[in-house]
Amino acid sequence: MSILELLSQFGDKYWLALLTTWKLTTVSFILAFLAGVVITVMRICPIKPLRNLGDFYVQIFRNIPGSALLILLVYAFPYLKMVWSYYTCVLIATTIIPSAFCSEYLIAGINTIEVGQIEAARSLGMNFGKIIKNVVLPQAIRSSVLPMTNLLVATMLTTALASQVPLKPTELTGIVSYINTHAVGGVTAFLISAVMYCATAVVIGQIGNLIDRKVRIMR
Amino acid sequence: MSLENVSIRDVLYEAPGPKTRMKIRIATAISIVIMIGLLAVIVRQFYITGQLKTKYWSFYGRVTTWLFLGKGLLGTLKVAVISGVIAFLTGMLLMMGRISKSKLLNGVSAVIIEFSRGVPTLLFIYFFFLVAPQFGLKLPAFWKISVPVALSATGVVAEVLRSGVNAVPKGQTEAAFSLGMTNRSVFFKIVFPQAFMYVIPALIAEIVIVLKDTTFAYVVNYSDLMQNSKVLISNYDALLSVYLVTAIIYILINYMLNRISVKLAGKNPLF
Repeated sequence: MSILELLSQFGDKYWLALLTTWKLTTVSFILAFLAGVVITVMRICPIKPLRNLGDFYVQIFRNIPGSALLILLVYAFPYLKMVWSYYTCVLIATTIIPSAFCSEYLIAGINTIEVGQIEAARSLGMNFGKIIKNVVLPQAIRSSVLPMTNLLVATMLTTALASQVPLKPTELTGIVSYINTHAVGGVTAFLISAVMYCATAVVIGQIGNLIDRKVRIMR
Repeated sequence: MSLENVSIRDVLYEAPGPKTRMKIRIATAISIVIMIGLLAVIVRQFYITGQLKTKYWSFYGRVTTWLFLGKGLLGTLKVAVISGVIAFLTGMLLMMGRISKSKLLNGVSAVIIEFSRGVPTLLFIYFFFLVAPQFGLKLPAFWKISVPVALSATGVVAEVLRSGVNAVPKGQTEAAFSLGMTNRSVFFKIVFPQAFMYVIPALIAEIVIVLKDTTFAYVVNYSDLMQNSKVLISNYDALLSVYLVTAIIYILINYMLNRISVKLAGKNPLF
């Protein structure tokens, strides 16, 4: 099937799929970032059990395969009387996994802050909360722009998991399987989705570089 | 700097005085109580839904169960190793294309790398599962999973290797050239061995991603750990316990790989 035929027949479906992928990526990324910040604060706070819980969370969710997590959420959790819609399950999976990586990147960012800064802040009379808010997090976030850009792309790639459950509307990966079971889409059907993913990734990368150049901390 | 370097965590607050110690102690106690409470809620949920019944767990006492899971794990590892090797070799070629002086080679490699990194593994799998057969390209299940997994890892491998090559100080290359070494021997005898040592931790981290991607083997009906778990489920009618244990196996393997990666990163003299 030629690209024009394919687009005239499935054009709106592709558009909708692209929007679905974008939406799922954006929502997951924002939630993952917020969760990542909370987890990171837990991991550096003086309360030992919370630290350990944060470390545990990160180790579990950076190491679990996405499909294993999604299968647990969709098929196993109902046995615990926890039944969620497909969309919720996908969203949980595509949020939790990136949130663990987000925390790892933030911790790496925090580790680049010099010990002297903390000592200086403390000698100015700042307490733990103020040091975190005014000294640690701003620097950690500024030096994690590039890792966060990569995380955003990784989140987008993770949303392909949604193709494993019957989700309406379908996203960019699911639509390739949809078209190939309803018509002979061939390479074109695959290429359109692939190019849409790549274009999004490249644009995200460019914007990330731009922001990084603006906010990077020169040391 | 490695993620394991947590020194900053400990300097964030100075040695607490008696009042703060008290506060921390109270907060610790409260958080422990809350965490035990959460754990109790989870266990209770397992209990009241009947998921703690022995019939869901007793078959893990049998050797055959573990042998079967082990067989699946072997399938998983086979795919992971072959994908890893393919990704490394192709990544190596792409990296050499990227650092070559030819504009064409450079451009082509850059496009392939972007494509590999920007497309989800599942989409590559669907390509080899649904699209390729339309052109008569019918691969066995093993390759239907190994090739796409390798394809989606190769771009990252290429970039990782390139970052390693760039990390080798320029002075060494210049010194080697001034000794009259050829282009090829400078690269393979001086630059690449060091670059490789430098990126071993990142490559191990990539193996974790490859291992995670192999879980999609069920899409193409290849019997890996995940697929064999499905068989166990239908045999024992125990979905939750099987998927839970399988997920834990994956987590443990990946955790160990990450630990190795961090250990090696700490030992590397180039850091």
